[in-house]
Amino acid sequence: MAFDFNVILDNWALFARGTWLTIVIAVAAVAAGFLISMPIALMALSHRRTLRWIATAYVEWFRNIPFIVVLYLFFYGLPFFNLRLPEAIVGTIALAFFASSYFAEIIRGAILAVPKGQMEAARAIGMSYFQGLWEIVAPQTVRLLVPPSTNTSISMVKETSVLSAITVAELTYQGLVVQGETFAPFEVFLTTAAVYWVVTAIFAHFMHRAERAFGAAQGAHQARSSLADKYLLIGARRPA
Amino acid sequence: MQMPAKASDAAVLMRSVSKWYGQFQVLKDIDFDVAKGERVVICGPSGSGKSTLIRCLNRLEQYQSGQVVVDGIALTDDARSVDEVRREVGMVFQHFNLFPHLTILENCTLAPMSVRGFSRKAANETAMRYLSRVRISDHAHKYPSQISGGQQQRAAIARSLCMNPKVMLFDEPTSALDPEMVTEVLDTMVGLAEEGMTMICVTHEMGFARRVADRVIFMDRGQIVESAEPSVFFDAPKHARTRLFLSQILH
Repeated sequence: MAFDFNVILDNWALFARGTWLTIVIAVAAVAAGFLISMPIALMALSHRRTLRWIATAYVEWFRNIPFIVVLYLFFYGLPFFNLRLPEAIVGTIALAFFASSYFAEIIRGAILAVPKGQMEAARAIGMSYFQGLWEIVAPQTVRLLVPPSTNTSISMVKETSVLSAITVAELTYQGLVVQGETFAPFEVFLTTAAVYWVVTAIFAHFMHRAERAFGAAQGAHQARSSLADKYLLIGARRPA
Repeated sequence: MQMPAKASDAAVLMRSVSKWYGQFQVLKDIDFDVAKGERVVICGPSGSGKSTLIRCLNRLEQYQSGQVVVDGIALTDDARSVDEVRREVGMVFQHFNLFPHLTILENCTLAPMSVRGFSRKAANETAMRYLSRVRISDHAHKYPSQISGGQQQRAAIARSLCMNPKVMLFDEPTSALDPEMVTEVLDTMVGLAEEGMTMICVTHEMGFARRVADRVIFMDRGQIVESAEPSVFFDAPKHARTRLFLSQILH
């Protein structure tokens, strides 16, 4: 038994197309999921019980069922309501909603971590709730959002593989196609695994740089302040 | 308690305001008036409801019954009246609550620009004027964490003044400060009082109360127990609870 590189070389175009589609779906689903999660997070923090209940139900629903089941519900559910869309779009939508439940929890936590006095000060000088949220609270959550969002986003890159179940021609699906033609599953899935690893590693690298950029920008002027530590709940980075 | 002659002379009117946290009643049927230009100091043991009382004046706290009128505007459940009142009422907090991601100058210009619609130039000019007045204009371009606690609290006072408030509320403004920084903040407040600002200060700085207050109020268990001008309040308090409190804090 020898590793047959020809399996990969002969089918590199399929792998490349699958990789590209995986990246496109992951980026679109993460971006859309993040947008959807914002109103959910605000509802979860609302003082209206009904809104809080809706947000909790939403988050619990998506977080407690496997993604493949969510995907099937969208895939068979949308035609049930006479909405027929290409599989890749259906898959992206399903993944966006799935991701949004995780992002909503991350955003909720980050907003809660900003001291209450910040919003009170904003309101006391006459700013509206949304002005306070946007101008005062949101900028202070960015540093808290980046690390957990990175983890969730990487999970979502990996979850795109589930879309193969509804014949979306992403990386895993292409792997299955090549495997069916070559009968060389080990070569195919070792390659597939390596590509996923490279994609997520590159993604993590850029997120980590973003995290350091935010850290450096805020850390520069807060390095010596214990009060800043308290405000941002993260140890201020000290310049060496 | 001295009553203002007519409602228009009152900066603040509170009529039988009551507030509960669950079963616990924090404010018991409070009647409280502050005339325009008057300086009132509120003291009392912790949990007596003094912070809650002033936080009801700009609706940072809700109350279950009673009426509050600030600068002629009745506070109702209507969000517009709340916003209107908040624009006229400045508040200084125990923990400063400066915005850590903005410079001192930006802290001062944000609300005038976004709420009052000032141009950046006009907002900067106003801010620099008030920052000079509280003597921290040199630090205008620093971030809150780069200056001392006393400087931060003076910046917070300047931030409130930039909205040109008619009433200033102070919620234990010196309690979180290192002892050597208390004086600089109190001096700033004395200066403000001398200019005729209507001020309601929750504080245990009795020297400040003697010096600037027109009236000192003692609260205990959600009620106003004693209300008198400083000379009477400190030298001849009527109520036993006030005497006990004063003996505890004046050593």
